[in-house]
Amino acid sequence: MKNLIKMKKIILSTVLMAIVVVGCNQKNKQEESVNPEATENTSQLYSCPMHPEVTGKQGEECSKCGMELTEPVAQTEAVSEEVKTEKVAATPFSATVDATVNDYLKVKNALVKDDSNGAAAAAKVLLATFNAANTTSIDAKLKKEYIDIADDAKEHAEHIADNSGKIAHQREHFALLSRDMNDMIKTFGTNKKLYQDYCPMYDQGKSGYWISESKEIKNPYYGSEMLTCGGMVKEL
Amino acid sequence: MSSIIKKIALSGIAIFLLMQLYQPERNLDYVRVSPLHFFKTFSVPAKVQGILKTSCFDCHSNNTNYPWYSYVQPVRMLMDSHINEGKENLNFSEFGTYSKRKQRTKLDRMIKQIKSDEMPLASYTILHKNAILSNENKALLLKWIEKKSDSISANN
Repeated sequence: MKNLIKMKKIILSTVLMAIVVVGCNQKNKQEESVNPEATENTSQLYSCPMHPEVTGKQGEECSKCGMELTEPVAQTEAVSEEVKTEKVAATPFSATVDATVNDYLKVKNALVKDDSNGAAAAAKVLLATFNAANTTSIDAKLKKEYIDIADDAKEHAEHIADNSGKIAHQREHFALLSRDMNDMIKTFGTNKKLYQDYCPMYDQGKSGYWISESKEIKNPYYGSEMLTCGGMVKEL
Repeated sequence: MSSIIKKIALSGIAIFLLMQLYQPERNLDYVRVSPLHFFKTFSVPAKVQGILKTSCFDCHSNNTNYPWYSYVQPVRMLMDSHINEGKENLNFSEFGTYSKRKQRTKLDRMIKQIKSDEMPLASYTILHKNAILSNENKALLLKWIEKKSDSISANN
């Protein structure tokens, strides 16, 4: 009999505990659902996912393609723009490109040495540089181009950073990253002397390009296995 | 001694039962297919569509074909985390929102992942036998994606 009462108590207390846990969860949810309303109150603008220049209130449709405006527009940018312009003049955009290229070259050099962990660490730095890049000084037309390139490059940098130990996987993303870097240098220029190299062995000759700071061929796709495989395509 | 075991077992059962109350929203588009879907971005042959649907869309689209055990927690939470990760990396339902560059990248990545048998995930095909790519289907799928990828590259 005593045991039975004890058991009842235990069951009761676990049920209570579980209810509290579920209740807490729900509270979180409520908070979450309240937040977007709060931002709406401050007249949050939304833009079309396809046409970033079209903005309006949430739920409205894009005047160009009729899609719902779903991308929140960061308004803080507009407010602090005046403050930023001073800084922009001091660091023109080519400096940003140079910084990204520098970080990219570190990833490349780690892969040349078959250093998977080093490549991951360097890619993390590259990702941070991309995230810190100030795009306000770019011409509006080129801005979309830059954002496309940077978004893609960031994804590859992230994969390289997250896959230390899997150097083959890192190299696949490095090939795609190299394509982005090449396009970025082509579009925005750089103050550095660079070379585009190509390894015809890699990926059946499809994607084995990379960018190097020296004329000497050091292959990041094969490393010590075939260090000097490949040739220079052109000077950048 | 046995009462302790009983206690633990009972509270375990109670927690398990209460977990079942948590049934979050499902990843379903209820046939409202977005105009930005992969199938609208490209004209995809019916056979390739079928392969993509059975082998990829459960995790890489806004429409998951849930199995019965998805109603059981904590299986559902595990499933959701996989689906979210899958969609973050590649979402066929929103393929049209990707830039041309990203579309090309994604096609490239698909080829590599399928070729190296990394996708579909082994942990997924173990329970979804029909999602396993037969050699024939794999070749068909790869051939189509490669053709598409090359035609995009040629345009750039």
